Parts: sequence; structure tokens; C-alpha cells
Amino acid sequence: MIEQQIIRMVEARRQAVARLPWCDAGLWLGAPEGFPLAEELRLDALLDQAKTCGIRGGLVSHWLGKTVSPQVGNAALEVAALPPGCFAVLTGLPLTPGEAGPLPGSAPPPPWVKGVRIFPRAHEFPLTPWCLRGLCSWLTAHALPLFIWHTELQWSDLHSVARAFPQLAIVVESQPLKIIYHVRALWAVMQECPNISVEISNLANGALTWMASHFGSQRFVFGSFLPANDPLVPMGMVIDSGLSETDQALIAGGNLRRLIGEAAR
Amino acid sequence: MSQPFIIDSHTHIGLYGRLPCPEMSVPERLAMMDRLGIALAIGSDQEALAEGGHAGLTLARRAYEESRGRLLAQGIFDPRAANRCLGELNDALGWAGLRGLKIHPTMHATPADAPSYAPAWHFAAAHDLPIMTHSWSASAHNPAQALSTPERFEPFIKQFPGVRFVLGHAGGRGRGRAEAVRLARTYSNVYLDFAGDIFCHRLIENLVAGVTAKKILFGSDFPWLRPEAHLTRVLLAPLSTAEQADILRHNAARVYKIEETPCSPST
Repeated sequence: MIEQQIIRMVEARRQAVARLPWCDAGLWLGAPEGFPLAEELRLDALLDQAKTCGIRGGLVSHWLGKTVSPQVGNAALEVAALPPGCFAVLTGLPLTPGEAGPLPGSAPPPPWVKGVRIFPRAHEFPLTPWCLRGLCSWLTAHALPLFIWHTELQWSDLHSVARAFPQLAIVVESQPLKIIYHVRALWAVMQECPNISVEISNLANGALTWMASHFGSQRFVFGSFLPANDPLVPMGMVIDSGLSETDQALIAGGNLRRLIGEAAR
Repeated sequence: MSQPFIIDSHTHIGLYGRLPCPEMSVPERLAMMDRLGIALAIGSDQEALAEGGHAGLTLARRAYEESRGRLLAQGIFDPRAANRCLGELNDALGWAGLRGLKIHPTMHATPADAPSYAPAWHFAAAHDLPIMTHSWSASAHNPAQALSTPERFEPFIKQFPGVRFVLGHAGGRGRGRAEAVRLARTYSNVYLDFAGDIFCHRLIENLVAGVTAKKILFGSDFPWLRPEAHLTRVLLAPLSTAEQADILRHNAARVYKIEETPCSPST
């Protein structure tokens, strides 16, 4: 009898995975830092794994953009030749004169770039409007979202930047450590700043359901953090969230596609 | 869902200040369990884990009664308050809600291989109770996790081969997981649960390949993490239905001596 129930549960989840338009904000090339047992995947293997899970596209980032330098990571993405449906998130810096390499913030972004991530802690700059004015203005002008791990920010600094650039879409990412200790701050800053969304891969304490019920599902973005993490974790959180089918579809992919200016596929 | 059958073998009861989440009454929790197909949850008291000093069974008894036996308990052993914990555990012997002991070397600031843990192992051996522990990898982010790395438990595992021992969190996300797998392969009394944010890619299939599905227990770490985060990754993992049944129920039933009869939903 238990086996029969399992078969039914498996089939229900297969159908849910198949009907939702998964678009992933967190596909990563390079060696995952802090996940010593994780396997680095080449682009074709990464996308194959994502596809196996039902993910139909998304944003690809490179660990080298954090662990070595933004320029090196961005150059690696430039030569990666992303297929249709996949776009890059470059690593950004507050620009200073004479920095070599492909950094976002001056020339218009190429069409394969759909976002910028910053690492204020790792790259030693303050997350403040006065330091990030150039980059944030450039992102706003080109309608690109800013991505930032919650471990790279002070919540009051995020609040300042989000208020200073109200037209800038900011996506707070729940990795690489669980965000659940900071849900009070996340709740408050989302309350204050309607331009802040959250990527859900490690928002695993049920907050997705009650926060989406309060703020609306349009503030939540699916991400997997593959290959460090398993896409089936956040997929399960969406499928079993108790939210409506429409809300689930927005979280699974609709919201991210809207943020990056891609029509629903 | 006609009849819940899953056993969530790693949960908590009570509130904890570091963890913001809406309070959930027992009926609300049972409704969540019913929706997800979870029959039983085994848990320990968060306050006794965080503060130590007692076995944390007062709230557990209330939860057991209010849930009509669906919320089972692990009594906490804090080596810094061994006598009080053992006294409370001894008083709870024979209570159907008590299913084992929980230890947490990191929170109780005592290395897992410290002699002060020996009374817990002797107690478990004497009363045929399993021990479940927090385990993790050495962590620069949280140095106290070094107190709970899997290899620290090995001397007691060897000394007490009759005590069913569960490495909660399967050693965590780092090198500790490889150690946890080694222990579960080496010792017949060692089991792993993957509760917590051990969201690693292909974790379930890798654990099964490493230790077989007979050694892995479904656990959520509720309310820190929700069972929703773990359920689909088990159900859609490339496993046989029999292996999924072992992970979702049968292994926990064996470790915690739970009768193989799924329960009825709460409503």
C-alpha cells in the first residue's frame, strides 16, 4: 500500500514539474566555493542536469567572478557561448579608472547579459548609494536586475541602496548559507522596498508561502544554485507551497523572465 | 493523500529566537503533515537544545498527547547536566512518546568524543533506545561545528555496537559527509538522516550509492526547514519505489521501533 502511495506521489510531482515554466536564476559554472563535495560541471553538463530536472532556461554565473576577479569570471562567461534561453549574470564592481577586462557599467550590455551580481564583502567595497551610484544608474538605464547574496550585505545598506534607486530591480539571493536566520530583516526590507525580490533556493522554512501571501508571488524568483545544490529542493518548495497554480508559475519562471525582459516561453 | 505514512525523523518543537517563523499549533502542524503524507514526526525540544540543562520532555509530552501520538519525542542528553537529564529520561521510560535520545555537541559545547557523553550511550544500550545526534563538517563559518564532526563519534559507536545511532544532517555539506558515509558503511548500527539545508546536488542518490537505502532516514529539521524542501527530491530521485519506502518510512520505523501501521489523517 505504501508503495502504491509513493507511485501516486511521484506521478503528481512529475506532472507538476512538467507544467510549470521553470527558469533558473542560479546556474553556476566553475568550482563551487565552500562545497568541497560538489562537482564542477561544464556548461553542457550543467544545462543537461537542469533540463533533466525540467528547467527550461535561466541565468548562468561563474564562480571565478567571486573567487578570482569579476573580470576573469566575466571573460569565462563571454567565451562560454550560452545557448538560446540562457543568459549571463556578470559580476560587477564600482568602476574606477583604468580597470581592464569586461566589467559592466560603461558600454551598453551585450544581449547575452541579463543581470549583474555584486560581492561587496568579498571584493571589499561598501554597499552604499555613493559607492554604487554609477553601476546602479547603469543597471537602471538598461533595465537589468542587480543580484546579491544575503551573505554579502548588511540589511541596512541594502535598504539604503534600494531606496536610493527605486527603479532598480534587486534580487536578494538566499545562498550560499541559509537565509532563514535573517527572515525578519528580509521581511522588513521587502516591506519597505518594493523593488526587492528574493531568490528562493534556501528560503526553506516555509517563508515562501507566508511571505508570498503577504507581498504577492511576484516578489519571488526560482533559483537552484546548481551544481552545488539540487534543483528539486526549491522545486518541491514551490510545488508543495499551497500557493495557487498562477502563483507557482510566476515563482517558477514568470517573475524572472519579467525581470530580465524575456517574454514567457 | 489517503493515509499518511512518512516518518519525519528529525524535527523540533518549541520556539527559538534565532529562527523567525510563524508559530504553528499542533492541529496546524498535523494538517501540514497530512497534506504532505507525513504520519509521524520525531522531535526534540528547541529550548533544551539551545540552553541545555534538561531533557526537554514537558512540551514533548503535551505535543504527544495533543497530537494523539503523532508527534513523538527524543529526550535530550546534555553532558553538562547528565544527572538531571538521565533522571528525566529514566522517568520517561515506558512512556510511548519517548523514542530515543538526542545529543547536540555543538550547542552543548562539548566534543562528541568527550567521556561525559558515556552515560547517554550506557543509558541507550540499557534501555534499547536509539541516539540521534547533530553532526556537521568542520566550518570556518561556525567553528563550534568541529565538536560534532562524524569521526568524533566513532569511539562510542565501536564501544556500543547495539545502540542504533543516527548521524543527523549526514555530516553536513562538507567533508564531514564523506566521514558520515564511511561510518555508516563500516558500522551496522550507524544511520544517516539528511535533515537541514543539506541541499547538495544528487545527495539522495549519492547517499544510497554510498550506504544503501536501508541506512538513510527522511528528516526535515522542522521548523528550521520544512519537509516540502526534501520530499520532492526523494520522490523524484532515481531510486526504486522500495528504496523510497525505506527512506520515507521503514528505516525510521526500524530505528525508532515504530509499528509498521500507517496512521489515519487528523481530520
